[in-house]
Amino acid sequence: MTHDVPATPRDDRWTARLSEYLDGELVPAERAALEAHLPGCEACRAALGELRMVVARAAALPAEAPAHDLWPAIEERIAGGARVLPLSPRRVWELTLPQLAAAGFLIALLSAGTMWLVSSKHPLPPVPGAAPTTGPVASGGAATLPAGFDARRYDAAIADLERVLQQHRAELDPATVRVIEANLRIIDQATADARRALAADPASPYLNNHLAEQLQRKVDVLQQATAVVAAHVNS
Amino acid sequence: MDHSGSGPSPPREPERGLGAADLSDARRAQAGDVRAFERLYRAHVGRIHGLARRMIGTDSADEVTQDVFVRAWQKIGSFRGESAFGTWLHRLAVNVMLTRRAWLGTQRSRWSSDDTAIELASAPPARTDAGIDMEAAIAKLPEGARQVFVLHDVEGYRHEEIARFLGVTSGTTKAQLHRARGMLRRHLSPAENV
Repeated sequence: MTHDVPATPRDDRWTARLSEYLDGELVPAERAALEAHLPGCEACRAALGELRMVVARAAALPAEAPAHDLWPAIEERIAGGARVLPLSPRRVWELTLPQLAAAGFLIALLSAGTMWLVSSKHPLPPVPGAAPTTGPVASGGAATLPAGFDARRYDAAIADLERVLQQHRAELDPATVRVIEANLRIIDQATADARRALAADPASPYLNNHLAEQLQRKVDVLQQATAVVAAHVNS
Repeated sequence: MDHSGSGPSPPREPERGLGAADLSDARRAQAGDVRAFERLYRAHVGRIHGLARRMIGTDSADEVTQDVFVRAWQKIGSFRGESAFGTWLHRLAVNVMLTRRAWLGTQRSRWSSDDTAIELASAPPARTDAGIDMEAAIAKLPEGARQVFVLHDVEGYRHEEIARFLGVTSGTTKAQLHRARGMLRRHLSPAENV
């Protein structure tokens, strides 16, 4: 019998290879060496037995139904517009949905609000934690409100992007939609708070900047979401 | 010595025998028959919910399971019957869940200062028996190791397919699998827990 490595209680060389051994991934020479090592190494034999137990217990895990019936909620969502795509979807998707997506993006990109955002010479205020914008980086505290900031322009751009997203909502993964909408709800709440505060103090640079930040955040999320739409319908 | 390694096995098909019924219901669902789709839901919800619980977490499993079946309804037109319906559904479910995880990861890094936007973690269930003990241990695994372990050892996918799901190499999935097994072994071993 060959013991080419010491049979220590924690034999790192072989204990790290036991999982591969279980899956038959060791080359013949390694497998032979390990099989020669095992009879003399209680630690490796125990570890191998435990690994077998892990694999067996994983394979035996039951498929358990949820604690309560999910079908009513699913049926409600299906009835609410989650439509069945037609048969032969590849042809349909290739011929129509990319065109629809392209049209949607053209509408969005060519509309006044979004074009203003794309072409504006007025830098946007920085958004902490968000993707880089064309604006300068704030040096702590509230940035000075950029000249030319107009919340109505943001609103128009946001409306355009929301329309594109809404048009393709049914084609998106529901989990993705939920994450997008959860983020948008948070931003909308912050925007509403900022607008309420501005109503009482309309000249506040901090509040104006905060509102601009929230609106830019929403544009960022919507642009990210429409990029997902584009990737999805063109896949 | 007996070589116990059997290599990766194909994905489980726990609903063997339902193939013809599934196919019939899938065809009806493709024509818009909601009741037929409900039968498919009832036949497969246990496995999908189990996958969701292990991949996403107990707290979000119901929600993700709903998402999977809504998505399946939307996409059932693309089911061609070339594989079992359960196989098609399961792959769709894995994609839905991984997309969700990817989105959560992206958003978390993007909105790192706003933890209320994203809920990633879920508490493992209470440990009362061996099965739940295993479930709790899986829930504690790091993200990548958990995904690979669940897909390979629980669900029976091959490394090559897991690698495609995750967009990594099969070498990476193998490394993650061995890491997960090692962690579970140490976690579940009585000698390690005394």
